[in-house]
Formats: sequence, C-alpha cells, structure tokens
Amino acid sequence: MLEEIKSLRKAPREECYVPGHRTCAGCGPALTYRQVAKAAGKNTIFIGPTGCMYVANTSYGCGPWTVPWIHAQITNGGAVASGIEAAYKAIIRKKKTDAEFPAIIVMAGDGGSTDIGLQALSAAFYRGHDILFICYDNESYANTGIQTSPTTPYGAWTTFTPAGPVVPEGKKLLPKDNPKIMAHGHPELKYLATASIGYPLDLMNKVRKGINAKGPAYLHIHAPCPKGWSFPSDKTVELAKLAVDTGMFQLYELTEDRQYRVTYQPKELKPVEEYLKLQGRFAHLQPEHVAKLQNFAQGRLQEVGIEATVPPAAE
Amino acid sequence: MGEKKRISGCVAVANAVKLADVDVICSYPIRPYTGIMSELARMVADGELDAEFIHGEGEHGQLSVVYGASAAGARAFTGSSGVGVTYAMEVYSPISGERFPLQMAIADRTLDPPGDFGSEHTDALCCRDQGWLQGWASTPQEALDMTLMWYRIGEDPRVLLPQYACQDGYFVSHILGEVDIPAAAQVKEFLPPYKNHHTLDTRKPQIIGAQIEPVMGPPLQYQRYNAVEGSRKVIAEVHEEFAKIFGRKYAPFVEEYMTEDADVAIFMQGGHAETAKIVARRLRNLGEKVGVVRLRTFRPFPTQEVREALSKFKAVGVVDNSANFGISGGAGVLLTEARTALYNLGDKVKTLGFVAGLGGEMITHEEFYRMFNKLKEVAKTGKVDKESFWLPFEL
Repeated sequence: MLEEIKSLRKAPREECYVPGHRTCAGCGPALTYRQVAKAAGKNTIFIGPTGCMYVANTSYGCGPWTVPWIHAQITNGGAVASGIEAAYKAIIRKKKTDAEFPAIIVMAGDGGSTDIGLQALSAAFYRGHDILFICYDNESYANTGIQTSPTTPYGAWTTFTPAGPVVPEGKKLLPKDNPKIMAHGHPELKYLATASIGYPLDLMNKVRKGINAKGPAYLHIHAPCPKGWSFPSDKTVELAKLAVDTGMFQLYELTEDRQYRVTYQPKELKPVEEYLKLQGRFAHLQPEHVAKLQNFAQGRLQEVGIEATVPPAAE
Repeated sequence: MGEKKRISGCVAVANAVKLADVDVICSYPIRPYTGIMSELARMVADGELDAEFIHGEGEHGQLSVVYGASAAGARAFTGSSGVGVTYAMEVYSPISGERFPLQMAIADRTLDPPGDFGSEHTDALCCRDQGWLQGWASTPQEALDMTLMWYRIGEDPRVLLPQYACQDGYFVSHILGEVDIPAAAQVKEFLPPYKNHHTLDTRKPQIIGAQIEPVMGPPLQYQRYNAVEGSRKVIAEVHEEFAKIFGRKYAPFVEEYMTEDADVAIFMQGGHAETAKIVARRLRNLGEKVGVVRLRTFRPFPTQEVREALSKFKAVGVVDNSANFGISGGAGVLLTEARTALYNLGDKVKTLGFVAGLGGEMITHEEFYRMFNKLKEVAKTGKVDKESFWLPFEL
C-alpha cells in the first residue's frame, strides 16, 4: 500500500519522470506526468498511447522515465494494460516470475481516453483489471496541431473548429464528460476521481488511492496546454487553478457507494470569463457564448454537489 | 505417450495451446475460429489449463491484449476469422515491430461481402506483409503441429516474431480428422519456456516502442526484415527436431506430391490441396504425369524452394483461394508470388492462375480435372492464350 502524502514537503524526493523530453515550455501534461510518476514510485509500468506524451517524450529513441514504459496505439491503452495485468497475474500464479505485481498505469490523452480509445478503456474497466487509467486532459488533439476532441470546450477555437461568420462560436458542441461515463455502468470500478495540476498534493494522493484500489481506477486530470489554448507558457498552473475556481473543472472523487465527494470547494466561485479571457482560443466569443459556458460550468458543478452561486461578471 | 482422437482443426489447435502452457488467451467470437476459443474456455473452466482467459472487446482489443501480455513476459494466444482479422489490422505491425512472439490462429473466412461464413484465404492474406510468420495447415493434425512449431520458431531468440497459424475455415477447422495428441512431456522437451530479454519488469526498466526520427527508421525496418529472412534457417531446424521428437516429418516449406517426372502441377496452399492430391492420384492411375506442390510456409515466402520445386514442370497452375481485385496477372497473391520466384528462369515454366473456392465453395474434383486439362494443353502447345481463370465462370 502506498501511504498518503501529508504535505508537498513530504512528497517523495525521487523523480521517476526526469529530464530528457522535448515537451513545449509550460506543458501541462508533462507536469501531470511528473506528479503521477512521483506519487506512483518505482514499481510502476507506464503504458503510453499515442499522443503528446508519446511523441514529445520518446523522440530520438530515448525517454524521460526511470521505470518501464511501453507504447500503445492511441486506440488501445486500456487493452494493452489489460494484457500486462493478465500476464502478471498468470506468471506470478504459475511461478514463472518472482517479480512483485506492479502498478500498471495508462497515461492517455483526451483522444486516447474519451474518443478513439474509449472502447478499450471501457472494456478494461468492465473486465475489472487492476490498472490505473489516467486521462491527461489538454482538451484537444494537440500533438497533431490542435484539433477538436470530445473534451474541447464549447466555443474553443481549434484548427477543425475555426470561428467564422457562419460559425461564430468555433466549437458548437458541449464536451463529453468522461468521468461520468466511467463512474456509472462499470460495476468493477474501484476508484474514480478528477484532479488538476494546480492542486498537486490532491493529485498525487488520488494517484495513490487509484493504485491502492484492487481493481480498475480512473483519474481524469486537467492539464492546460499553452500551445493549444494560446496563453503564455508561464501561466499553466495559474490557468489550472482558475479552471477550478471558475467551475470550468471540478475536483471530486467517487465514494464506495458511488456518490460524488467534492475534494476541493472553491471559497468563492469566479465568473468563467476570468478564465476565458486569458486564452486566445476563446478570443472570438460573444457575450451569448460566454453565457452558455457559464451555464455549462454551473450545470457541471451542480451535478457533483458544488454550491454554484456565482457573482455577476464585472461590467 | 500421446493419444489418438478424432477431433476438428479447432479442437486440435486448442489442444496445442494447452500443451504449450499458454498464460494469456484473448477471445472474441466470430465464426469459424470460435471453436478454438470455446474449447479453451472449457479447458480453463475444467481446470485442465491454467491461463488468464480474457474476453476482448473486439479483434483490435484481442491483439492489443496479447501485445501487452507478451510484453510482460507471458506466452500469449489469440485468433480470429474474416473481417475480425482485418479489424485488428492496426496492431499487427506494432506486435512484430516490438518483436513479441505471440501466436494468432486464423480459421479463414470471406471478408464482407459476401459475408457468408465460408472459407477464403483473403482475410489472412491481407496481413501477409506485417512482419509475421505465416503458414497454412491442411489437416487437423497439421494444425496442432503447426501451433507448437510456430511457438518454438517465433520464440527462438534468433527470430522473435509473431506467427499466424492459418487453416481453412470449416474444411479444416470443423472437419474431424484423426489427430495424434502428443504427451505433455514430449512438448516440454520440444518447447522451452518463453523468455524474452525485453519485457516490462520494474527491476530492469526499459522503454519499448519509443518514437524515433525518420533517420532511425531504416535500420529498425532492416532489423525486422532480417529477422523474417533469418527465420528460414530456424524453420528448417525446428521441423527436423519436431520430426525427431514426435515422429511426424513435414517439409518445412513446400510439400511435393507425385511430382516425380510430372509435366504439370498444381501449386497451392491449405486444405483444398488434399482434394487436388486425390485428383492427381486418379490422373496418375490413368497414366497422366501430374503432381501437386503444397505451400506450407507462406511468410517468409520460400522463394528458393518454390523455384526448385516448380522449375521441373512445363506448366504450373497456381490456385488462389483469395479475392484480389485488379492484381497483376489477374488471379491472386499466390500467382504473383510464384511467378516472382520463377522469374529469372525466363519463360521455361508456363504459369496459369486459377481463382477457385471463393465464398467458401468447395473446389470440386471436376474443377481440378479442368485445371489439369488446361495445364496439359499449355504444356503440349507451349502457348498461353489466357493466363488467369476465375472458376467456375471462366473454366
């Protein structure tokens, strides 16, 4: 069992995600990886479906991990993890290895989790494999040059959802809510939570809870992307915190009786506009689009039981 | 020692998988290969086989599960048929590229359309250039033996490649034949435990499948190419050792039947070759100089062995049991491969292509008689008016 980390000071010194990659300056997913690997420790196998954290991490045939890592297709992170888990169960039981059962962690982007990879993810959870599946959500297909994914917010510009006279808001659809998909309908699920790189202690402890759970665990981590969202690369953590403080992203976990438990309640919710205005991808939005996003945030907050009274935006 | 039973090709493969002490199996239902998995599921439920039996979410999932399992150091098995084989296409190259020597049984089935359950080699042949070893069994006994031999060949440290063990749907997978099921001790002697030096072990961290720059691509592909090419030697060695331990001797690449002094021959692979042999035998009884050459190993393609075998004849009829639209020569994959093997011999051997048995139809005795007649005509006149025939429409 991995113990709870009581404070950031008491977090392990040892890094399992080390220099040697070429992610963008201010990369949210890279910060995610560092925190996840630190919390998970040495007895970990990472599965990396195609996405930013494959392409930017392993270029030139090297990689930034001190633990085993294997590539998976963008389609099949959940299935590859299932195979690794089943193999370890079998070869330990049949005494073909003296290895200890490892933490098996999929680090998939939002495409590899909520879109093309959803079938494999759902199947692994249905079957009850003892794995931790993490979606590092930077809200777009960023590695391919910023195309819309199911978690791209309403109103966001991407190269596949440009704003123009006919489509003034850019992306027209509301985002898919993957934690909710995973929370209900997978009876073998043993742990589920959302996390943000803006709240690293909470994130690392949720990673540990996911590993400690004997069965499938899902962690959805909000990971801002300076390149895809168009904001300065020194603002990544600020953006991550603002997403939570405006209700655009909510921090919670699922209790054993399948109830949502809020793990961070913002003292005072800020208008979503404060979050949107820092990002170039929302620069084209008109007031009616912002209002729609405000409604969206309040709906999501209410779903998990966060008090959603928001002061009016400054005129 | 072993025991003799009348079983189908599917059950024969399941017995081989059990004897190979496979650790992880991943299933998904599609006819006709399903019979292998239901037999394995029964073996697991009855405690005859200790393995993780995973229900894949589809064939793509199946291949992904065994990719992970093999990477973690388990001996892994999966299988499919028809459109299931093509649905998994994305994952074949990563499996051979990372050099995971897992095995996939394919009991052939047509693609859609026609979507009937009939046998056709089209499914497995779609995957022929993915860096996997591939061969066809023509009887349940051979299906069992091939499963064991492919594991041994694929897991050899000089090879480390995945294997497609193919058999015709129904004609082999569901027809009972007498099968000598070897004793576990014999198999233990033949097939050592699976060991791969690059596995996922936290005590020896490795990165598997890193993305590389274009300049690093050619050497990586060249290594895989050499692994496939180098497997020829191991294939021959393993067939010899198999014969020593089990007493069944197969030609590793091409099996010749009544080819001595033959003027014409049929060249083909799979279960329909058994029908061709019967027809050849009857023609021999009538004094005709005909024979059959059956391809056993398709990948790596035994260019040299095929050249040696076929160059003896005046005319060769290549029977393709696959649908290949717009292919050079107008017949199928086997015709183009056989012609390439013969190319440097000039026009010495006339080659005709026969597309037959599509949609799961029998290739009848009558059809083989017609093929042999056409070949005799070409051998006699030395002239080829039409080089490929879709049966039964064109011959």
